[in-house]
Amino acid sequence: MRRLGFFFLAVLGAIASARAEAPPLKETPDLAPAVKRGELPPVEKRVPSAPLVTTPAEMGTPGGELRLLMGGAKDTRLMVVYGYTRLVRYTPAYELEPDIAQSIDVEDGRRFTIHLRPGHKWSDGKPFTAEDFRYWYEDVASNPKLSPSGLPEALLSEGEKPKVEFPDAHTVRYSWTKPNPLFLPALAGPYPLFIYCPAHYLKQFHAKYADAKVLADRVTEAGQRNWAALHNKLDAQYRNDNPELPTLEPWVLKTRPPSDRFVFTRNPFFHRIDPAGVQLPYIDQVTMGIADAKIIPAKTGAGESDLQARYLRFDNYTFLKEAESRNNYTVRLWRTAPGSQLALYPDLTVNDPVWRKLLRDVRFRRALSLATNRHKINQVIYYGLAIEGQNTVLPQSPLYDAKFREAWAKFDADAANKLLDEIGLKERNDDGTRLLSDGRPLQIIVENAGESTEQSDNLELIRDDWRDVGIELFTKPSQLKVFHLRAFAGETIMSIDKGFENGLPTADMPPLELAPVTQQQLEWPKWGQYYETKHQAGEAPDIPAAEKLLALLRTWFDSKTHEERRQVWQEMLGIHADQVFTIGLVAGVQQPVVVSNRLHNVPVGGVYNWDPGAHFGIYHTETFWLASDAPTAASDLPNGKKAQ
Amino acid sequence: MFGYIVHRLLIMIPTLIVISIVIFTIIQLPPGDYFSTYVAELQSQGEAVDLQKIAFLKAQYGFDKPVWQQYLYWVVGLLHGDMGYSFEYNLPVRDIVGDKLLLTFVVSFATVVFTYLVAFPIGIYSATHQYSWSDHTLTFLGFLGLATPNFLLALVLLYIANVYFGISIGGLMDPRYLDEPWSWGKVVSVLQHLWIPVVVIGLAGTAGMIRRLRANLLDELHKQYVVTARAKGLPPFRALMKYPLRMALNPFISDIGSLLPHIISGAAVVSVVMSLPTTGPMLLDALRSQDMYLAGSFLMFLAFLSVIGVFLSDLALAALDPRIRLRGGVTR
Repeated sequence: MRRLGFFFLAVLGAIASARAEAPPLKETPDLAPAVKRGELPPVEKRVPSAPLVTTPAEMGTPGGELRLLMGGAKDTRLMVVYGYTRLVRYTPAYELEPDIAQSIDVEDGRRFTIHLRPGHKWSDGKPFTAEDFRYWYEDVASNPKLSPSGLPEALLSEGEKPKVEFPDAHTVRYSWTKPNPLFLPALAGPYPLFIYCPAHYLKQFHAKYADAKVLADRVTEAGQRNWAALHNKLDAQYRNDNPELPTLEPWVLKTRPPSDRFVFTRNPFFHRIDPAGVQLPYIDQVTMGIADAKIIPAKTGAGESDLQARYLRFDNYTFLKEAESRNNYTVRLWRTAPGSQLALYPDLTVNDPVWRKLLRDVRFRRALSLATNRHKINQVIYYGLAIEGQNTVLPQSPLYDAKFREAWAKFDADAANKLLDEIGLKERNDDGTRLLSDGRPLQIIVENAGESTEQSDNLELIRDDWRDVGIELFTKPSQLKVFHLRAFAGETIMSIDKGFENGLPTADMPPLELAPVTQQQLEWPKWGQYYETKHQAGEAPDIPAAEKLLALLRTWFDSKTHEERRQVWQEMLGIHADQVFTIGLVAGVQQPVVVSNRLHNVPVGGVYNWDPGAHFGIYHTETFWLASDAPTAASDLPNGKKAQ
Repeated sequence: MFGYIVHRLLIMIPTLIVISIVIFTIIQLPPGDYFSTYVAELQSQGEAVDLQKIAFLKAQYGFDKPVWQQYLYWVVGLLHGDMGYSFEYNLPVRDIVGDKLLLTFVVSFATVVFTYLVAFPIGIYSATHQYSWSDHTLTFLGFLGLATPNFLLALVLLYIANVYFGISIGGLMDPRYLDEPWSWGKVVSVLQHLWIPVVVIGLAGTAGMIRRLRANLLDELHKQYVVTARAKGLPPFRALMKYPLRMALNPFISDIGSLLPHIISGAAVVSVVMSLPTTGPMLLDALRSQDMYLAGSFLMFLAFLSVIGVFLSDLALAALDPRIRLRGGVTR
């Protein structure tokens, strides 16, 4: 059993700083000329006095340019995801460890003392201190103009605001009267909760600090409506579209949008070093080419990206593999982490009363699940490489139990038929389709967002299986937004979409996906709405299992120990497995990851996930390095001949 | 003549007003707005969304106001030269459009030149050698050009260009030149990349133009004045160029009206397939994500160019062909 929840962070912090008995530092070759000219301080002055020593799988040499491809200018935010520099971060084993923070002391799950690294600097060389936290909390998050809807959710423990103290320049303390288990996971997310911002830069745009006339001029110049809009536009720590905004990330944006190519250069003040005393990141420069998302697999296959997974799909695999030797890269297959690649969502809150009654009958959902031949889907569509079973946590998760995945998942048409007869759906029409209680034929229309053929391929296979038990299935592709709006309004009988977003939870992550808390949950949009809008809209959950799930979620938030949380998780997963709220198909479908043969330290087999995982972020992109045996501007050479 | 021009200019105003209302209505027609599209898109990628920030932006940009107020706000801005604000790019619209216009212009202009250079000689040749073996061959090629879907051709050419000539896929220049100042190498790189889009976009137009030129010219060639000119001993080339060809040109001049907006908007579908940095894909994205000020202002700009273009081509026709009378234009 894992005991390393975040309650032990203080210990981890101590370990990190003990390791930080740092080796003598070496100057980065790329920055040496600037240091010589006196434009940059030497490396000893640039890294914090207690840097974070990261041990890479393979020691690298600094330099080189990493090329990425992205689908739009908005994707500059992904550098913040890939860079994955957070106050605390997940390790590849999904435990939390301090990163920007030197350590965090946690008492009772409600008092969090963050110790910063003395001498830590922003990418423009200005010190990073408790003032940056104070400015954010007092002047940004608590300012009604800048944050009209108040503090972020994760800073409220059952509606209670935190008490925030700044004992000295390198210490920040957040405390609540009750435990706040959301706080640290929010800080470690791929889209993190930033509880700091570069105060010295942003104060120029804040009405409280800036000269009113100068500020008014800046607002007009930027075409904004008022100073709050300007401040929010420039404070783009996640959006990452402001090249002037200082950052703590390994690479800093240099190109001003709009552009079709974004350049990110190394942050000379980055706080991590390798055991040999070389400042990270190894790679000098990252360039992000912008192309239409649909053409990215083709461009990747032409060797125009050194590291690519986004916008590549499993069905691109053969094409990419074919060009592998020609363009000097390797295609790796990583696991993805959704609880299920695709799952069917019977809408328990559908408007139609007959359907509502039927879908709420657990026997019906079980029958649908039993009538689905997952093995066939796996063989036909996923080359047999996926994991068959229900929509639940993946085997890599510490909460995994085989019985959750196997429950009602074995193909058995006889059992399904028996269950359907038992419900009373005995009458059939001439086509052999069963009839609903009001005489309509049992035709299920499965709606989807119409974005990929994968969904329709799956449904095509399921349709054949279901016809054998007297159920007709129709596919209705629409458009993403229309699809969502119909589901939220209760028009949809059943939909198909990705399963649980996070199939790799630990007990310390909130089990939000398992209880009806948002209308995005297609199995019960209206119950979710009810919770989300604080009972203004939607409907209250009125079946015992859903009420139980909500109660368990509350228990989780009140829990103090790891073991309690673990039990809550197990119980909730058990309810899902037994009730078959969603009908999972297959999981663990692989994500092709194209890695240039010059690029080192990228794991051969990894997990490609958003949260936790931050795509590549969790695997320490700052330790990736490029061997210099091939020319950098490879794209201009005749690719067809180069490798032969 | 002067009265005619003033009349035409004045009639543009109600035309543009109606166009602006239609544009705005159509953009607003699909359910939801830019932010709901944005949220749905992020969630489909499995990413988190900061709903508080979205609420802030919505209020900031007046999404809570009635539609007619949003419309007035937009139109009044347009009259002041303010094209509004793009949510997608988080920048004023003029900053986004400006960069793309030049390259769009280059591509479109090259396409037009390519079309004319190829279509005219072939069209004239086909007409003068009607039903000959060479005419049949060229006609066959022309139909082939008309019938090939150009996005398919784009894909095939891209693949060939990449595998055999090592030209990077998509885009108008090699990635490393993208944010560099103009240099000789950059110009060469653009020229290397330019031929595919030019051929692809121009192909259907070229084929169409060959057919039209051939048909028009054939009508003229059998008229009596041509026979007379020949009989009087005018050299065949002059007898062709002096009158029949000029007569056959009228449809092309009236085409200028639609050419002007076309040069600016580029061929959207081909540009998307080839990921060209032109305005076509930008407009398409803006429409899809309901980035209403970007889409609206750009469409308005195109509408304005069409109106001007039609006006100019009418004037040019009147100037070039004495048979066209102004009176006819007014009563039409």
